[in-house]
Amino acid sequence: MTGINRRTVLQGGVALAGAAMFGGLAGRAKAATGLTLYNGQHRATTEALVAAFTKATGIDVTMRNAESPELAAQIAEEGARSPADVFFSEQSPPIASLQEKGLLGQIDPATLALIPAKFNAKDGTWLGATVRTRVVTYNKKMIAPADMPKSIMDFGTAALAGKFGYVKQDGFQEQVMSIVHIKGRDAALAWLKGLKQYGRSYNGNRIASTAVENGEIAMALSNNYYWYSLAKEKGAETLNSALYSFPGDDAGNIFNVSAAGMLKSSRNQAAAQKFLAFMLSKAGQQAMIDTTAEYPVLAGLTSPYNLPSLAGFTAPVSPADMGSASDAYALEREAGLI
Amino acid sequence: MTAWARRRLALPPAWLVLASIVPFALVALPILYVMVQGFEAGISGILENLVRPYTLNLLLNTLTIAVSVTILASLIAVAAAWGTERCDLPGRRWWRLTVALPLAIPAYVSSFAWSSLGPWFQEIQGAILILTFYSVPLVYLPVVAALRSLDPNFEDVARSLGHSRWRTFRRVVLPQIAPALGGSALLVAAHMLAEFGALSFLRVETFTTAIFDQYTAEFNNQAAALLSGVLMLICLPVAFAEARLRNRRRVARIARGSARAIVPIALGRLTPFVMLGFVALTILSFGVPAVTLCFWVVEGHSAGQGLERVLPALGNSIGYALPGAALTTIAAIPLVIATTHFRGRFAMLCDRLPYIVHGLPGIVVALAAVAAAIGFLPAVYQTTGLVLLVYIVLFLPLAQSSVRASAELVPRELSDVARSLGKSPFQAFWLTTLPNLLPGIGAALALTALQLMRELTATLLLAPAGVVTLATEFWNYTSDRAYGAAAPFAAMLVLISGIPVYVFTLRTLRLNDAR
Repeated sequence: MTGINRRTVLQGGVALAGAAMFGGLAGRAKAATGLTLYNGQHRATTEALVAAFTKATGIDVTMRNAESPELAAQIAEEGARSPADVFFSEQSPPIASLQEKGLLGQIDPATLALIPAKFNAKDGTWLGATVRTRVVTYNKKMIAPADMPKSIMDFGTAALAGKFGYVKQDGFQEQVMSIVHIKGRDAALAWLKGLKQYGRSYNGNRIASTAVENGEIAMALSNNYYWYSLAKEKGAETLNSALYSFPGDDAGNIFNVSAAGMLKSSRNQAAAQKFLAFMLSKAGQQAMIDTTAEYPVLAGLTSPYNLPSLAGFTAPVSPADMGSASDAYALEREAGLI
Repeated sequence: MTAWARRRLALPPAWLVLASIVPFALVALPILYVMVQGFEAGISGILENLVRPYTLNLLLNTLTIAVSVTILASLIAVAAAWGTERCDLPGRRWWRLTVALPLAIPAYVSSFAWSSLGPWFQEIQGAILILTFYSVPLVYLPVVAALRSLDPNFEDVARSLGHSRWRTFRRVVLPQIAPALGGSALLVAAHMLAEFGALSFLRVETFTTAIFDQYTAEFNNQAAALLSGVLMLICLPVAFAEARLRNRRRVARIARGSARAIVPIALGRLTPFVMLGFVALTILSFGVPAVTLCFWVVEGHSAGQGLERVLPALGNSIGYALPGAALTTIAAIPLVIATTHFRGRFAMLCDRLPYIVHGLPGIVVALAAVAAAIGFLPAVYQTTGLVLLVYIVLFLPLAQSSVRASAELVPRELSDVARSLGKSPFQAFWLTTLPNLLPGIGAALALTALQLMRELTATLLLAPAGVVTLATEFWNYTSDRAYGAAAPFAAMLVLISGIPVYVFTLRTLRLNDAR
């Protein structure tokens, strides 16, 4: 028996765990002095923005990073006691869901006026920070640009059976809402059913656009920045895939925005308003578009990513029209997609 | 070893009941949360949400994956264990370690590697393949430990009575390793029900991916809670089947029996084929993900980014995993002792509940913790302490299964003797039972630390702001497709995991030698 040694080890272990527990409780992050930001946007982008903001104003920002829907669910659960002052979401529907729950405060009208109204919430509780376009990623070796479908509605038909992938996240609900607005609810439902029947569902946009790149499938419904992040990692000239937008003002052409808002419960509202205003300033916009392949919401700035001009891209439905896209959810359920 | 008749067991003493209440309360929280959320949807809402072809499809996929992975991993693990423990395979010591090696690779890393090989691997058969190779070591190690503890006399007697090798295995060996095999197989099954990270790279929809979709699509936690409720119901039979398997026999003994070396079976001409099998297993389960990681570094333009974060992330990973593992193991001990050495319905419930919650996705448990902490103890919200408590809820069954493997070998009579010498029940436990649990405790610490280092969701939502771990950095860079930048974090995670894997392997293998 080596009982005595073991006992000593055990007692030591218990003491250590106890100390760790108390250390943990004591080692709370001090967030009271600066702003607390819940961030679902690409971390590098928000880090660049925060660094520029702190440099300009001297206000410290503490970031919590996670997926936007998770953070929205967390804030909904925290309610009025949320430690968050500002929420920066990768897409607008998660933050719009907080707007519907009445958890967001009013943004300074002077801030909202800096950018086109179509990028902001209609009630002024969140603002669009950067814009992306909804696109089709296609494999150049498998399909020629001239043969690409002319409308998003084609994806719900047998003509494209087995040729495309789709992802029920990031940007998909906005896509559904756009079709509802332009073509009506029945057409949207039929489209979703067609998608389920003829398309391949992927569990993530990155995986879907990689599948197109690798020639596993010819096309995928996606957002523009997924292609650019792949281009950045592998080199644009080596890629087999490219981006395509529908001609004219097709229901498939939509802008979606990354969006930010202030929590109504924030005890730091003055600083939060300053942060939101900074997001739409030249310096703030430049910091963001330098680190991700998204368009600025503010006119007169250029992206280093060689993005195509937005001049020919018309989107009939704006992010403000889409809200939290809960109608899309009901339709997707009716179609048996979720 | 004798198969003793089941003895009437006493009820657990007061201190043990009190000590079990803490983990019980922690684990009950997410269940309450799911129930409250689910009932808010109302009966009609429940029916409307659940009774649809979509749910049936999820149910089929979830069960297909859980059942196939569990069966395949068990078959491979038993065959591998037989090879390394009963055959004259050259380099057995080496093969034991290589079979355990895949434990060091997180499922989401190996899944990413496999899925990039082609569409076949993204479908359900791919998911089964990937998760099977990932799960083999979790069954292999307990089975090897059990095989090594067997008294070879039984096998000799069976052989001398004219039984064939296969019949001897089936009639004599298999019943004796059944508790170890069954326990670890069911742990794998529960684990598969909750698996999300690996599936997010594939094209398979299960309850877990659907729960995530619900949060993404609707931002209404009720529908997600309903699916979580179904998931818990599926876990229920898994949890109780494990208990039934174990309760059937008593394996405790004081002496080691005739600890005679086993004469290994001569493989003869089969040797190269068996070796080839082991090589294939190693390549499939460890080689493919490892090569992919190296490939990322070479091909990715982002390679080298964020290197300054590797060391702080490593420090935090260790700093959270070690106390988390210690607390989880401490919480597991009373639960295990209350059921292995005593009886009682409450003890049984306390012991089973964690297995049911183990099937819940991390996001649900994390949100339950948010609701509870914000509502009742705002001072602990987003502190390290709260994260550690959530870790206990998430990983308790891992610690329980390892501690139990030891506890079942400790005769209850030891503490009875201490009691008869005038010690209090707690003293008796402290002086006699606890020291004999050490091998199991070591294995539990290593296994929980291993899994904790990979935990992502609860760490992201609940750790103090700005805390980065290897897992959070890996997630951050892969979600930006900066695979080159992500690779060093994954590699560091695999390397540092090697330590608990090594400890866990040795501890489990020596479980029966250590006393």
